Amino acid sequence: MKKQVIPAIVMLTLSLVIVIGSQTFLSPCVHEDGSSGPCHWAGQALMGLGCALGVLAAIALCVKRARPGVYLSGLPVCALGILTPGTLIDLCRMSTMRCRMVMRPAMILLFSAALLCALAGAVLTARQKS
Amino acid sequence: MKKFSLPLKNLTRKPGRTSILALLTAFLAFAVFAGSAVVLSLRSGLSSLEARLGADVILVPSEAQSKVSFQNMFLQGTTGAFYMDASALDKALEVEGVEKAAPQTFLASLKADCCSIKIQVIGIDPEKDFTVQPWIARSLTRELGDMDVAVGCKVEADVGEIIRIYEQRCKVVARLEATGTGLDTAVYCNMDTMNALLSAAEEKGVSHKISSGDRVISAVYVKVKDGYDIDAVASRLNGHIRKVTAVRTRSMITGVSDSLAGVSRTVTVLIAAVWALAFIILLLAFALIVRERAREYAVLRLVGASRGMLGRMVLLESALCGLLGGVIGVGAAALLLFPFAQLIESALKLPYLMPDTARMLLLAAGTVLLSVAVAALSSLIAAYRLSRVDPGTALREGN
Amino acid sequence: MIVNAENISRRYFRKTGGANYFYAVKPVSLEIAAGEVVVLTGRSGSGKTTLLNMLSGLLAPTEGRVLIDGTDLYGLDDRALSRLRSELIGVVPQGRSAIDTLTVMENVLLPARLYRKPLPGKAAAQWLERLGIAPLRDARPAALSGGELRRMAIARALAQSPDLLFADEPTGDLDDENTGLVLSAFRDYAHEQKKIVFVVTHENDALRYADAVYKMDGGQIVSSSERAD
Repeated sequence: MKKQVIPAIVMLTLSLVIVIGSQTFLSPCVHEDGSSGPCHWAGQALMGLGCALGVLAAIALCVKRARPGVYLSGLPVCALGILTPGTLIDLCRMSTMRCRMVMRPAMILLFSAALLCALAGAVLTARQKS
Repeated sequence: MKKFSLPLKNLTRKPGRTSILALLTAFLAFAVFAGSAVVLSLRSGLSSLEARLGADVILVPSEAQSKVSFQNMFLQGTTGAFYMDASALDKALEVEGVEKAAPQTFLASLKADCCSIKIQVIGIDPEKDFTVQPWIARSLTRELGDMDVAVGCKVEADVGEIIRIYEQRCKVVARLEATGTGLDTAVYCNMDTMNALLSAAEEKGVSHKISSGDRVISAVYVKVKDGYDIDAVASRLNGHIRKVTAVRTRSMITGVSDSLAGVSRTVTVLIAAVWALAFIILLLAFALIVRERAREYAVLRLVGASRGMLGRMVLLESALCGLLGGVIGVGAAALLLFPFAQLIESALKLPYLMPDTARMLLLAAGTVLLSVAVAALSSLIAAYRLSRVDPGTALREGN
Repeated sequence: MIVNAENISRRYFRKTGGANYFYAVKPVSLEIAAGEVVVLTGRSGSGKTTLLNMLSGLLAPTEGRVLIDGTDLYGLDDRALSRLRSELIGVVPQGRSAIDTLTVMENVLLPARLYRKPLPGKAAAQWLERLGIAPLRDARPAALSGGELRRMAIARALAQSPDLLFADEPTGDLDDENTGLVLSAFRDYAHEQKKIVFVVTHENDALRYADAVYKMDGGQIVSSSERAD
């Protein structure tokens, strides 16, 4: 039973990095004139998804009964997180821009890690049931 | 399976010990793989730069900034715009020893609606050009038409898409192969398109003319005939054409390869340091473990294992640790190297071109093999000392 | 099956007043025949374990030979000796002798596994049963008491059906009931299957089960007695 909490803890940590990162060290491009391109909105969407993931992880941590469902619902959230930068929401049109150089790869890695956590959690909880 | 199972069980049933040893080798593998990949990428970046700079001499306006901004354009992909009279091309061809000469014209776009950053636009003369054109030809079988553009691989635009430059609609007809140089962030068009763009820029208040009505170019790429001294031709060009500086491409490449050598050295020292440290720690760790497990080994001898079997078991166990660590280290390095390649390139400020997949796989396999070898090697001494002891003596001492 | 020890001795180097070495076992000769339980007694430090180690192929004597059915044990190279030990000899050493990463059953089957022999699963289960530790077959050694570990080591040696069984203080950690269990198992094994059982002990309980008793003191065998059948 202790094992089932570990994915939730890792997920919670990842979601914190995602939310804080999307506003600070992993933020999208900042333009000199203060205008915001599509990548700004991608960053906001990622923050939102990060928050959702954090809430799911917190529920998995506290409510034991909800764990299997919560871990499963983490899967589409993480998939959205992977698809958001560049696929669902456009980024700047140059690979050398911050949003493509830093934000996108970092966010894809973070959400992929969270996806693996959710998967591990789902498997662990399912195994305990049977 | 039967002989294999004991080392495997020792590893899986002592996860703490296994993960510490694996982690140590993972550091090794990480350093080797990441370091070598960066050095290899820099090397192929350099040779790619040499290919794209395939001229002997490049003429740029003799304004103080033009040479620097030309280099930055090539190395870092910053925008540059400087102009000289188009007559420089014809004059260059008059100079003795010049085999070929081709013009290029540069224009920095304003922040276009698509890109929200400045883009370097490079106009070439497809008939005359011998540096960029062969590269474009690999991705585009026909010539660049009017208002057609070919984009560098780092410009995120698809073939068939329309991009606007100074309100002019340009159609993307090709996306070029990666070169690892600043050329990857530029957009290429023919001279007619360039002139249209220059006029449009003028309307927007971006002045580039030297004197009104003149046709302008930004650089002339010169190929020197065989048998002629490049330095001599460069100084003749300098003398023959006013307000022009002849830059030897060799000097640019030398500058880059000097920095590359510097980076290479740093990486090598770093890898060596990590190696020395990890190897010593591994040696100590295995020595400690073997001492701690002396009784276990004595028991194995007791139940019939020969020296050779015991040695093989110890080696196999450590080699498996090395394999695990090697895979983890290479995996972790790959997770940083591939997604963040652009970040590394920008930080290094040098041409950076990742080797192809086959070579990277080879490097990865080599690194894993090396980790296995190092782990096995560092347990070799321990395994040897172990096998010299009589099982009877070891049993008593281990008590 | 017959074991001959011909003038075997073991010398260790030690800086002392006179000589710079001492004898742990002074030259001794022995003959043990199949179907016998031999008990070697004596005070601690008298050289019992050293003699056992030399007889069982674990420690090369400084001088002399150990012959098993005419084969000179220490004339073999390490590989051949190890193989011979694995085929003919079982040893129950002093102290802990479990591999911690293996379960009790895996420990018992380990000697056969090393040489990829058919696993004596049935014999192993029977011995675990007889020695009263069958319920622990899947436990890890860390969860076992000293006496249980000792009986595991005994089961491990017996499960390989060795022609020669050497046991060094096999009943040291055991209570009276288990001591009787083990010693009668040894006696039955020697008598019924015509094997040799060689027990080193300082406890008198063992004497009742012995066919021959040797007593050691100061590296020498000071007395021997055969039970008249």
